[in-house]
Amino acid sequence: MGNFLESMWMALDAVRSNKLRSGLTLLSIAIGVFAIIGAGTAVTSLESTVNGQLAMLGENTFQVRRTPAVIMSNAQWRKYNKRKTLSYDQAKTFQVRATMPQAIGFSEVENGMQIKANNLSTDPDVNVVGCNSAYLDCVNLAVDEGRSFNEQDDNLSRRVAIIGQDVAARIFPFGSPIGQEIMIKAGGTKQKGGRFVVVGVMKKRGSLLGAKLDNYVWVPMTIYSTAFESDPRKPVSITVKADSKVQLQQTIDETIGILRVIRNNKPGDENDFEIETNESMTQALAGFTGYLTSFGYASGFIALLAAGVGIMNIMLVSVKERTREIGVRKAIGARRTDILTQFVIEAITLCQLGGLAGIVLGAVVGLVASAALNFTLAIPWGSVIGSVVICVFMGVVFGSYPAWKAAKLDPVETLRYE
Amino acid sequence: MSTQATTNDKPLIIDIRNIAKTYVMGEEEVRAVKDISIQIYKNDYVAIMGPSGSGKSTLMNILGCLDTPSKGDYFFKQDNVSDMDDDELAEIRNREIGFVFQTFNLLPRYSTLKNVELPLVYSGMSKDKRLEQAERALVNVGLGDRMDHKPNELSGGQRQRVAIARALVTEPSIILADEPTGNLDTKTGDEIMKLFEELWMKGNTIILVTHEPDIARHAHRIIKVRDGMIESDLINPNPVSAFDKKTFDIAINDSTVVLEQE
Repeated sequence: MGNFLESMWMALDAVRSNKLRSGLTLLSIAIGVFAIIGAGTAVTSLESTVNGQLAMLGENTFQVRRTPAVIMSNAQWRKYNKRKTLSYDQAKTFQVRATMPQAIGFSEVENGMQIKANNLSTDPDVNVVGCNSAYLDCVNLAVDEGRSFNEQDDNLSRRVAIIGQDVAARIFPFGSPIGQEIMIKAGGTKQKGGRFVVVGVMKKRGSLLGAKLDNYVWVPMTIYSTAFESDPRKPVSITVKADSKVQLQQTIDETIGILRVIRNNKPGDENDFEIETNESMTQALAGFTGYLTSFGYASGFIALLAAGVGIMNIMLVSVKERTREIGVRKAIGARRTDILTQFVIEAITLCQLGGLAGIVLGAVVGLVASAALNFTLAIPWGSVIGSVVICVFMGVVFGSYPAWKAAKLDPVETLRYE
Repeated sequence: MSTQATTNDKPLIIDIRNIAKTYVMGEEEVRAVKDISIQIYKNDYVAIMGPSGSGKSTLMNILGCLDTPSKGDYFFKQDNVSDMDDDELAEIRNREIGFVFQTFNLLPRYSTLKNVELPLVYSGMSKDKRLEQAERALVNVGLGDRMDHKPNELSGGQRQRVAIARALVTEPSIILADEPTGNLDTKTGDEIMKLFEELWMKGNTIILVTHEPDIARHAHRIIKVRDGMIESDLINPNPVSAFDKKTFDIAINDSTVVLEQE
């Protein structure tokens, strides 16, 4: 009939006249599309958030860790967890033996610390990082106010600290924190910590995967060990800066060689430590998000397949129920193509309504989740357009057979049908 | 091409020549129509009668271009319908034939206006023209004030009027009515027969298919079918006018307000 809009209104009318049945069918499609859009939204938000911040390591910098930064499964976790600690002593030995690196940073983190100054205190959720001055340089951490660490702070075990923006805002709401004294206390019963003088305030860093990166305090590595009675088994991260991008691979090779000796790796065994570059972390994340995306797509696809079979079933029932109507339409001049398009468009309309509900639901849930986790909000337009296309495709695929059955019905028989 | 010499000065609309229709039901061959020839001219008012099993329904389906004969020729105006395919038949039905059914066959979800508009949708007419023509058709059957009603909000007589409006809206060459009063009480049936008579007086061609002699005697020509053959094809010398009946109309255009005198 070439009158698409007319057919669409007819279809909406048919949908309206069977609210419950249509509603249930729509629901199954909505769930399928929801899975696709939900996964899409979450992944898009995750990627747009993380990719920017992962680049905190410079391009000629890499990190040595006991375990990878991104662990995907429990099995992997169990494997990596058996590895021996990368201790401060090993790190120091490495520093002595290594010749290639331009700078070698050490760092160690303690969670759940409380910072006090005058009468104000933070919640006991601050991360305190013990590090040398080279570390701050390697990971591109710069101060906003005051100064960064220097080698003397390390060598002399000075009781100095650089505080993050959130910490500064909390305990020094008025005036500059520089030169002020703070008290770092462990949240638990253990008597750890001590008094430090603030020498700098770090630049604002925002948040990553829900972790607040400004809720940090940095102190020199040497004083960190004594002040916090650091367990010598506690893992240390080594951050290495190569002379240039060109020398990055050679530096990595040297590092692996030295560490294998220090950590007694037998020839033929794999390394019992990880080398992470920006690239490897981005790749690991891409693997993770890819996993998430394909899981969402796969479950969505299966749900849509089930929904499609449902659509076909509903359409077959609908054709059967409306046999008389089809007869009347044919009697007053509907051609086969008119009937065929009517039912196909009806199936497409059903799919589109369900798809639209799924898109809205998926986008809302995805965005709420992103907001809750402090991700950058992002609507996965690709998935949205994809869903609309898939819904049209589904309508055609699963609506065609019932529509064809309707179109080839014999007018005489259908008019006689009770 | 067929333009058979006519016995009167009216143009020939339907020219059926020696048609037969055979169905295969399982092993058995059923010869529903054996050998029938009929000519119907413009502004005829014909009743086709016959008991059930006479081949009357099959003949009607062929006349209405819902089915094609197995043998013989069927000329509708100039076109040979016997060898048309499904879509060509659909176009003939749409353009040339207005159906009126015993059970009305209105689409229940659609308003009166929408039901009447539907044949024009299939003929590809523009929305504005469609509405205009459908409204006019409804006014002509006295339902100008019922356009937005759904069929289930109307009485049986009103529903049949909507069906007649739907049959008329494309200005077809013939109106083919299959037991149009079969589901109506006598009073309402008479109203519908009056409407048919009015339509005939306005120049329409009407074919009534019925088994009730009471209905058939309104027609001016009565064709009786038996055993797949024509038993008789006679001019009705004394057609009964529906307007002579002893019913007293308060309002002729509203079948819900009709009182019987006796």
